[in-house]
Amino acid sequence: MICTIDKIIQETPDIRTYRLKFREESLTEQFNWMPGQFVEFSLLGSGECTFCIASSATRKGAFDCSIKRAGIVTADIHRDLDEGDEVGIRGPYGNWFPLKDLKGKNLLFVGGGIGLAPLRSLIQYAIDNRSDYADFTILYGARTSADLCYKEELEEWKNNESLQMILTIDKPEDTWKEHVGVVPKILEEVVKPKVENTKVITCGPPIMIKYTLMSLDKLGFAPKDVITTLEMKMQCGLGKCGRCNIGSTYVCKDGPVFTYEELNTLPDEF
Amino acid sequence: MNLTTYSTDSAGLQAFYEAIINAHETYAPVEKFGKYDFKKVDSLAGCDPDSPIPQTMSVKSLFFPKSAKVMKYTATSEGTELSDTTEDPLAGKRVVLGVKHCDARGLQVLDAVYKWDYIDTDYEKRRENTILISPRCDQAVTHCFCTSLDYDVENLDAMDVAVIHVGDGKVYLQARTEKGKNFLKENNKGLSAANGAAKEEMKKQYDKFAGSFRLSMDYKEINEKMQDKFDSPAFEEVSSNCVSCNTCAFVCPTCHCFKISDEKIRDKGVRYKSYDSCNNVYFTLMAGGHNPRPVKYRRWRQRSMHKFVYYKERFGVNLCIGCGKCTISCPVNISIFEVVNKVVNTMQE
Repeated sequence: MICTIDKIIQETPDIRTYRLKFREESLTEQFNWMPGQFVEFSLLGSGECTFCIASSATRKGAFDCSIKRAGIVTADIHRDLDEGDEVGIRGPYGNWFPLKDLKGKNLLFVGGGIGLAPLRSLIQYAIDNRSDYADFTILYGARTSADLCYKEELEEWKNNESLQMILTIDKPEDTWKEHVGVVPKILEEVVKPKVENTKVITCGPPIMIKYTLMSLDKLGFAPKDVITTLEMKMQCGLGKCGRCNIGSTYVCKDGPVFTYEELNTLPDEF
Repeated sequence: MNLTTYSTDSAGLQAFYEAIINAHETYAPVEKFGKYDFKKVDSLAGCDPDSPIPQTMSVKSLFFPKSAKVMKYTATSEGTELSDTTEDPLAGKRVVLGVKHCDARGLQVLDAVYKWDYIDTDYEKRRENTILISPRCDQAVTHCFCTSLDYDVENLDAMDVAVIHVGDGKVYLQARTEKGKNFLKENNKGLSAANGAAKEEMKKQYDKFAGSFRLSMDYKEINEKMQDKFDSPAFEEVSSNCVSCNTCAFVCPTCHCFKISDEKIRDKGVRYKSYDSCNNVYFTLMAGGHNPRPVKYRRWRQRSMHKFVYYKERFGVNLCIGCGKCTISCPVNISIFEVVNKVVNTMQE
């Protein structure tokens, strides 16, 4: 399927969000996805990359992929693509956040850096179905204020009275009025979430995940109540090419969304 | 199923093969520098369907090609145009002669992954349109260990038509699938119906074959014990000689990992699907530098565990069929047989 780039938003110095629309309008209606799913994004001639869909299907018409300049294809994407250009899309693939289990629960989102992208699809979905959930908390951090994604939307979420939004950066900055400190620290000292009836959805750099999980454990969260989405090298998205294997699990088919309890049963290879 | 059996002699078998080659698109093992690979043939002279030497390359390349175009595209001023590639050269009706039984069983193993969830229609069509005619091995060679892996030598269902040499130039042909049965009905030059002695004589041949193995292991034990060997220090030892050339995966009848890559010249480009291997350091390397398997022993661990544990867990069959192709082609003599035995028998602290 061919998509046209409707809009490019420079989120941070190395992250851009590409808003995509289908070239054939009939596909817009047909293309449905659940929060947490991903697509294969092609820049023809450079190759294919796996990106999560960073927006919710409750906001139809277009969808977002937030892309950090990291490797060969992403560098080409940042350099070569302008608004109006065409890219190839396959998908949606993978499983999604367990919406049924989340219903009626308190939601606590813990995100770091580009890790907010997969959470954003669920955050938007939950905002659009706000009455289905109890308390709604977002903790989001980045290295510096410039590294925060979706700045306009963060502002919007902050002004949204039905949810609590906590922002943090690693080191103090002159104009910064929010919290300062790494995500796990803020989680323990500022958010102090209640454990009962709460589901935690987290995504971020490996080092943040590691310490966040330790903090959550300290706070008394059960592994089955902590949900994350894995990053793994993928190519086909169809459970064939074999590179996303962790044990007998195919991340592209059985994931990318896992609870921490499920991850504990997998060999330590991610 | 009622198995139809025909009998013939060496000359009759030659006539049978020749008639097939004349009437059908036929692939057979062709020798080059002492090594065999499957090629399209137009006469029996250039090929050797009953060679006792194991083929170097696997027949899988006729179903899952080394490198195949999956898409073409052209960028025009009006936008990007995608086009399917030209016709699949492997999709037509065809016959493959001389497939070793292990190789044919490898295809059965591949069926499991290709037919779960998303169905690879190209693969499916190639499978459907192919008749496999394969000789039952007479004798195991140095690195064979197929009988160790949950395998009954009398079960020949992986081939459509089994060719069994029972000695003294006498040959039996047995249809093992519906497809094979229909094929033999129409293509039976040089064959005649087998008499009552066939069953017994074939059984004798199977027993002789089963008794000719140098290597053997207890598969059940290996499969069970391997499950707890993820942290075994033996992986480091067994993989230390590996030069990561990936040959083992390319010749393996069951290795099926591939990569997708683009090639472009100006406004036109092609997307390829080609063999890849978990022994390749780039296999799981992600943009940004994170690699879940950055060192050799981890990649060997994945290879061994996938073959002997994970695939079985997921699809119910073992991903190694004991053909020994990887060991024969390995430049540094790493044997998968020795690897798993060493891993299983190394004590863990």
